[in-house]
Amino acid sequence: MTADEVMKKSQAAFLYQGKDFKARVMMKLISSGGQERVREMAMLRKNYGAPGGEQKYFMYFFQPADVKDMTFMVYKYPGRDADRWLFVPAINMVRRIAAKDKSSSFVGSDFTYEDVSGRNIVDDTHTIVKEEKFVGKDCYVIKSVPKAADMDYSYKQSWIDKSDFLPLKEEYYDRRGGLYKVFTADEIKAVKGFQTITKRTMKNLSSGHRTEVSYSKTDYNIGIDDSLFSERFLKQPPKKWTE
Amino acid sequence: MMKKFSLVEFSVERPKLIVVLTIIITLAFMTQFPKMRTDTNPKNMLPATSDVRVGNDDVEKTFGLYEDMIVLGIVNDKGVLNRDTLGKVQRITDAILGIKGVAARDVNSFPTITNVTAEAGTLKVAPLMTQLPQSEEEIKALRKMLLENPLFINRIISKDEKTTAIYVPLEKGANGKEIADKIREIIKKEKGDEKYYVAGDPVARDTFGAEMFKLMALFAPIAGAIMLLVRYLMFRDFFLSITLMMDAMISIVWSMGLLIGLGFPIHIMSSMAPVFLMAIATDSMHIFNEFYFRYRETKNKKQAIIETMHAVSRPVRYTALATAAGFAVLLFMNIIPVKVFGGLVAFGTIVLRVLSFSFIPAMFTFVKDEKIEQIAHAEDIGSSRTSQLLKTLAGLGIHKPKTTVIAGLLLFAIAILGISKTVVNNNMVEWFKKDSDIRTADTVINKSLGGTSLGYVVAISNEENFIKTPEAMSYIESLQRHLEKIPVVGKTTSVVDYVKRINRVLHDDNPQFDKVPETKEMIGQYLFLFSMSAKPSDLDNVVDYPFKKANIWVQLKTWDAQAMKDVVKAVEDYKKAHPVSMDFKPAGIAYFNLVWNHEVLWDMVKGLILALIAVFVILAVYFRSIKWALVGYTPLLFTVSLIYGVIGFTGKDFDMPISVMSCLSLGMAVDFAIHFVGRLRQRLAEMQGKESLAEAMLWTAARPGKGIMRNAVLFAASFAVMMFAPLTPYITVGAFIVSMMMLSAIMTIIYVPALITLTQGWLFKGGLK
Repeated sequence: MTADEVMKKSQAAFLYQGKDFKARVMMKLISSGGQERVREMAMLRKNYGAPGGEQKYFMYFFQPADVKDMTFMVYKYPGRDADRWLFVPAINMVRRIAAKDKSSSFVGSDFTYEDVSGRNIVDDTHTIVKEEKFVGKDCYVIKSVPKAADMDYSYKQSWIDKSDFLPLKEEYYDRRGGLYKVFTADEIKAVKGFQTITKRTMKNLSSGHRTEVSYSKTDYNIGIDDSLFSERFLKQPPKKWTE
Repeated sequence: MMKKFSLVEFSVERPKLIVVLTIIITLAFMTQFPKMRTDTNPKNMLPATSDVRVGNDDVEKTFGLYEDMIVLGIVNDKGVLNRDTLGKVQRITDAILGIKGVAARDVNSFPTITNVTAEAGTLKVAPLMTQLPQSEEEIKALRKMLLENPLFINRIISKDEKTTAIYVPLEKGANGKEIADKIREIIKKEKGDEKYYVAGDPVARDTFGAEMFKLMALFAPIAGAIMLLVRYLMFRDFFLSITLMMDAMISIVWSMGLLIGLGFPIHIMSSMAPVFLMAIATDSMHIFNEFYFRYRETKNKKQAIIETMHAVSRPVRYTALATAAGFAVLLFMNIIPVKVFGGLVAFGTIVLRVLSFSFIPAMFTFVKDEKIEQIAHAEDIGSSRTSQLLKTLAGLGIHKPKTTVIAGLLLFAIAILGISKTVVNNNMVEWFKKDSDIRTADTVINKSLGGTSLGYVVAISNEENFIKTPEAMSYIESLQRHLEKIPVVGKTTSVVDYVKRINRVLHDDNPQFDKVPETKEMIGQYLFLFSMSAKPSDLDNVVDYPFKKANIWVQLKTWDAQAMKDVVKAVEDYKKAHPVSMDFKPAGIAYFNLVWNHEVLWDMVKGLILALIAVFVILAVYFRSIKWALVGYTPLLFTVSLIYGVIGFTGKDFDMPISVMSCLSLGMAVDFAIHFVGRLRQRLAEMQGKESLAEAMLWTAARPGKGIMRNAVLFAASFAVMMFAPLTPYITVGAFIVSMMMLSAIMTIIYVPALITLTQGWLFKGGLK
């Protein structure tokens, strides 16, 4: 199997399972001094097309308390920056937000938008560095070097499980060649037969900051309607998705 | 006394043994040298457990801040907003991000700083300049973004568009000078009209640390060589001149060896110890001076040595005691490096004296008799020109005592006025000369941008999320405006600035919304919105996680401690006038400097006062008379007052180098008086009335006075070279020592005789003693 094929399978297993997906996401943003910030949201995702293709995300925030009822919608396109809309309840206004997928932090966490929704496979040159066991599982170790020079990292090294193609660990190296960011999959569960990472951590080694994410109430193929992804529902999200 | 005598006699009898012993001990101390550690960071003068360092660490952790930051200013007189200059900014920023020790993720410059804008109904949170503007229109758009955003003005762009800056935070433990050097290499590759300025506390601090050791290595030997030369000119004997040098060198090796052996790092203060010890060692000049006179009289070398030591041992021991005491009082201070320094020099002084009674007499025995004869011939107080001049000077005091005393008192009064103007302050940037790169950089950047020095004011509430209330926001905003009224405050930044910016941008860039929103929900949601796409540090730097604390950044245009003091006071005043349920705590490097200034310098002032008392007590014990102690005390008091008076008048700060000098000045300035008064009283006792008081004083001025003058000239000559150093603390030290030696010598020769003449009735009441 070539490195590109491994990455394609991994992308499908990690980010495109099922027709659609929902989860209650709990994010803990933890500073080097141990201070915590919490983000809690319902996340809904629907695929449009094959793995690597378009997706739509809908998020409803529970926490922090003062952003309750805030909603966030993303149309993700392969090959260009996503479109994003945010509903700000305090001023009852929907606003489009432009940000750089590659470098912007997702809700203040150590994940970038790209870390959450995935990176275009053709944007990097992938090579299989080696094959080795990681946490007892046989893995491909893939090195991915961005083709464009506008990334915060110079390359990424991923440990991809040979059996289910989920990334178990990713290491990000900065432009001085130093390791500065590490992703780990901390818990994997089968949900409706789909292997799903239900706990994950992104740790920034240079700032000492880390983000721990756990998924609960996960489910696949629940029949999310296309109409959900609209400004109307952004302002008034259907109850059944926000419980 | 008997014991000391036997040491001298023993040394004269067994000179070889003494020399060999000395060499062995010296070699033993030398073995410690490879273990040498240096610590040039003045910050470490306060222990890591001190309140201010703990407090600063805490604030840095809470807000994800960096202890140190370098500011690179880029100036183009035609304006920086053109493709060419912007391209350079982009390239330089990019290269800086690659330097090890730079906290790359938080470097702020055009290509990296977060910009919040509204474009065609879309809220955009992104770095200001993701790519180089391609056309005039794009540059125009950039200009608009810069000048309309108060977060940028005076931070990364000056109002006149001629200056921009790159803010480079450093990882903990990174060396500011090394990183500054790498930045300089990067800018060297750029051609064009732009001028570059590298500034910031870490640059000054670490450059000074590095330069200091280089200068010590350069100036200590130069001073030593000049001393050697001057001694040779005085005594015309190379061997003895070397002996005198060795005396100083041995004591330096012993004390530095002890310091290193005990595991202390060589600190910015203790690194000055060798020069000080060299200075103190010149006191052995009095032994030489007297020896030649005695030899002329006895023609027997051993006899002359023993007689010499008999005559000078008391004054020499007491001058050593006074010098050692001046430094030893530092042992009672609070700051550890100050204690170490005090102990180090006090130990070295004692070593010097022990050598004076053993090593030096032993070395004398090796000098050939004919040689001594030859030199001693010149030592006749009747024919020596120096002696004649000294007699004339002393005569001035003796014959016109009232005029002399009144003139002195007048000078003293003026000096006191000067002292009252003294400013206790330490400004490290000013340790560099006015035209130095570091100082120019600081001046240029401070003129056009918000300021290179940074302090924080942390607003603290007991209630979670309180910072998100409109009440807290408005309060912080008004406090910022209040602080900005202080002339040295160049810019303030807080979470309020971000909230106002988002409010405006969300409302289609309508300037009417450039204000604090009405509700807590709005503020909370705006901040969340901002955190959704900005760099995490943008928000972390200004609010803590539970929103109980907000950090106000205060950029200052000077490194003077007074600036932050003004800020702290302004905050207190404001809170008093406008009570609120928040506390305010200062932090940051500017605040650290303020506390450092207060703790370290006032500790030294305390030491100075303590030393003044200790020296007086020693004088009183030595003369066994309070009256004579007062007379002997005057040259010291005058010298110190005159010097500090001049410092006060010229507006020079009482800073660290000056404070270190103060200890030395006390111990040294009293020496001459001890010799003069001590020997005068000896002479009076010896002559038992066969000579008038005036005659005895003239003799003292001509004979021990010659030793005093030699000592002063030797000293002044070797330290004068320091005045050519490129760092102001060295110039200060040089000028200080030169003026101190000359003043106290002249004071002793002219003023003491005048004082004695005038008060003889009172002084000699009840006989000589």
